[in-house]
Amino acid sequence: MLSNSANGIYWMARYMERASYMCRLLHIQSEALVDRPVSEIQFGWRRIYAAINRNPLGGVQAVGPLDDYNLVDAYLLTDELTFVRDNPESILSCLERGRENARQIRHCVSDQMWTALNTEFLRIRDVKLTDIWLASPSSFYEELLAAIDRFSGVATATMYRDEGWHFFRVGQFIERVQFGCSLLLTQKMIENQTGELAEASWRSLLKIFHASGAYDRTYSIEIQPDLVLDLLVTDRRIPESLLRSVDRTTQELSSLGDGPDTATSGALRRLAGRLGALLRYDWPDRDDRDEVLRQVLQYSRQLDNLLSKTYFNYAFQGVPRSDIR
Amino acid sequence: MEFQKYEIEPSFYDEMFHGDGSPRQHCVELHATLSDLTGLELSTMQERVTRSFYNEGITFIVYGNEAAGERIIPIDCVPRVLANAEWRHIETGLDQRLRALNLFLQDVYNEARIIADGVIPTDVIRDCPQYRIEMRGLSALHGAWVAVCGTDLVRTNDGFRVLEDNLRVPSGVSYMIATRKAVKANLRGVYRRSNVLDVEHYGKLLLSTLRDLAPPGVTDPTIALLTPGVYNSAFYEHMFLARELDAELVEGRDLIVNDGYVYMRTTSGLRRVDVIYRRVDDDFIDPLVFRPDSYLGVPGLLHAYRLGNVTLANAPGTGVADDKSVYAYVPDIIRYYLREEPILANVDTNLCRQPEGLEYTLDNLADLVVKEVGGSGGYGMLIGPHSTAEERQDYAKQIQANPKNYISQPVLDLSRAPCLIDDQFEPRHVDLRPFVLRGNETRIVPGGLCRIALKRGSLVVNSSQGGGAKDIWVLPD
Repeated sequence: MLSNSANGIYWMARYMERASYMCRLLHIQSEALVDRPVSEIQFGWRRIYAAINRNPLGGVQAVGPLDDYNLVDAYLLTDELTFVRDNPESILSCLERGRENARQIRHCVSDQMWTALNTEFLRIRDVKLTDIWLASPSSFYEELLAAIDRFSGVATATMYRDEGWHFFRVGQFIERVQFGCSLLLTQKMIENQTGELAEASWRSLLKIFHASGAYDRTYSIEIQPDLVLDLLVTDRRIPESLLRSVDRTTQELSSLGDGPDTATSGALRRLAGRLGALLRYDWPDRDDRDEVLRQVLQYSRQLDNLLSKTYFNYAFQGVPRSDIR
Repeated sequence: MEFQKYEIEPSFYDEMFHGDGSPRQHCVELHATLSDLTGLELSTMQERVTRSFYNEGITFIVYGNEAAGERIIPIDCVPRVLANAEWRHIETGLDQRLRALNLFLQDVYNEARIIADGVIPTDVIRDCPQYRIEMRGLSALHGAWVAVCGTDLVRTNDGFRVLEDNLRVPSGVSYMIATRKAVKANLRGVYRRSNVLDVEHYGKLLLSTLRDLAPPGVTDPTIALLTPGVYNSAFYEHMFLARELDAELVEGRDLIVNDGYVYMRTTSGLRRVDVIYRRVDDDFIDPLVFRPDSYLGVPGLLHAYRLGNVTLANAPGTGVADDKSVYAYVPDIIRYYLREEPILANVDTNLCRQPEGLEYTLDNLADLVVKEVGGSGGYGMLIGPHSTAEERQDYAKQIQANPKNYISQPVLDLSRAPCLIDDQFEPRHVDLRPFVLRGNETRIVPGGLCRIALKRGSLVVNSSQGGGAKDIWVLPD
């Protein structure tokens, strides 16, 4: 497969996955705005902005203690994270970049995938927050999330299982590891700064990972932060746990060929193995869990870099034989 | 919906009706079906066709207006019908024309007999910016310099005429197929009953053509489609054709020339490319030979082409044969190489490079269409009857400053066809762009893209200037 096409598929998957996370975060936040305490709302904004490593519009004070005035800020922050194109992490930006990549590699994906993505992008492209703010922002995010999930489902149902499929899956899983890890690190960071977090903040974290029901079934309805973290990091039954995403990344990488440079390719696979080992064997025994998460994030970024060097942007080495076909 | 309010003017050939308002024989079936549909059914059908283009992202970008983003080409859901005999006439004429033009290209870049024999003046070729000196002495496999051609035809009361030969990187074929799919889905009954000839196998014909052109000794060629990228106005088409061909869609940055061969960068390493269907203009295709500031091309590509290690379709330099000055000589070109009379007529053309042509053009500017010889897309031309005195005065100065750059033609009474405009049938001027392929034989799908001048009375059909399109149905014998 053409390197550029593989790169486009990989990034299409990543942007769609990122849009999904942003959508989930904002869905929870839009529900919190209705009846949750100010502190919880404030925590929600901090978590989002820290996870995407961005300062909110109007500076950090915009997510400070809320009073009536700051509900105006809630509107602006929601807008910035949903519709503002200048914010590369906004849902619209993610969908737009996902679509731009999809446009370039349309011939490599199924018609149904393109139509699902294009239709949803066109639907929300011209929506303004004012259109949904007074009605039900929460319903808007629910519908959007369903559409993004539909795209993923359509991909699973219709995409040809060639190399492109594996790059698509690698993109999904690497984004899950990176975004998921950023969220967990953020949760820990805020906890370290402010002391014990409210139970609701852990419950919402579980919801972001689609793991709330699983936690209740595995443990109990009582929240214990360490157990929440264990579940989200190492429980392979949780579709978006870090370990499952890393294992799936490794599995998809093993389905790909070696690439032109076996040394880089080998390094890529060893790094994926090291990442899995870190989660599987280090996480349970180490006390410095923040540090483990930081390492996971660092390794996952290196993984992205090595993937690019192996398949997308490898150096042109030597003179190829003219009979290479 | 009835056609009672539909206006028929004798000065324009109507594609559906005789002068007395009765439908032409080959349009009876379609006319009856359209008459039976209610206004609501028709507008719903139109909406469905438009929506399908929108959702599928069948778009283009207008240069100079990129901020407006992607647009869909407005599609009219009422097809234009051609009788089989009409099509056969067109088909034979197109085949003849392309064979002659390919022979002309082979000659003009080699022995130049046509110039030595005085059929075409030397300066017409010498002054043509599309003549590529770098192609001198080269030949194309099977003589197919032009492998893909999109000829613009118009019909007047006198019959069909060729308006333009697009021999460089003609586009529109994807819209032809997309329009066919959308329209036939909405007019299923009459489409089936009419046994309309298929156009959707164009991709297969293009693939056969490109395979014909593989370098000698290559039996299973790797084919790639070279696009300028996602910001090109016709990117949708490039993607569509790559998929039809099951070829890789590559940009210049994906290709490398080494050791006289062309390779593309794949996930498993470099892979040799044998045939490139290029949709990048000559100027940008190889910065080592043409424009050095081009990032769209591939350094060394022409070197690999000269060595015969890769085929470029179309070959560089084909623009000399669709230059508007050379166009005036195409009937002579046909007679010279084929010893046949042209089947399809040209539009009478005055060359401003000739004193009598210049004088006639300047004296009759208000009645003529004046075009730049290298222009396309409907840009840079003056339509005399639709211009102001001031515009004509300015244009006359431009012509006088550089007469070689201009030709003029009479304003043609382009035929009209019924279109659904504001829920009514209204006549609009149309043209026809069939697509002709040439490998070791000529291949043509029956039909083409019918372009429409959507503004009432307008003669400009270019999509970049507000034109639309409709399906063409060629009926069987």
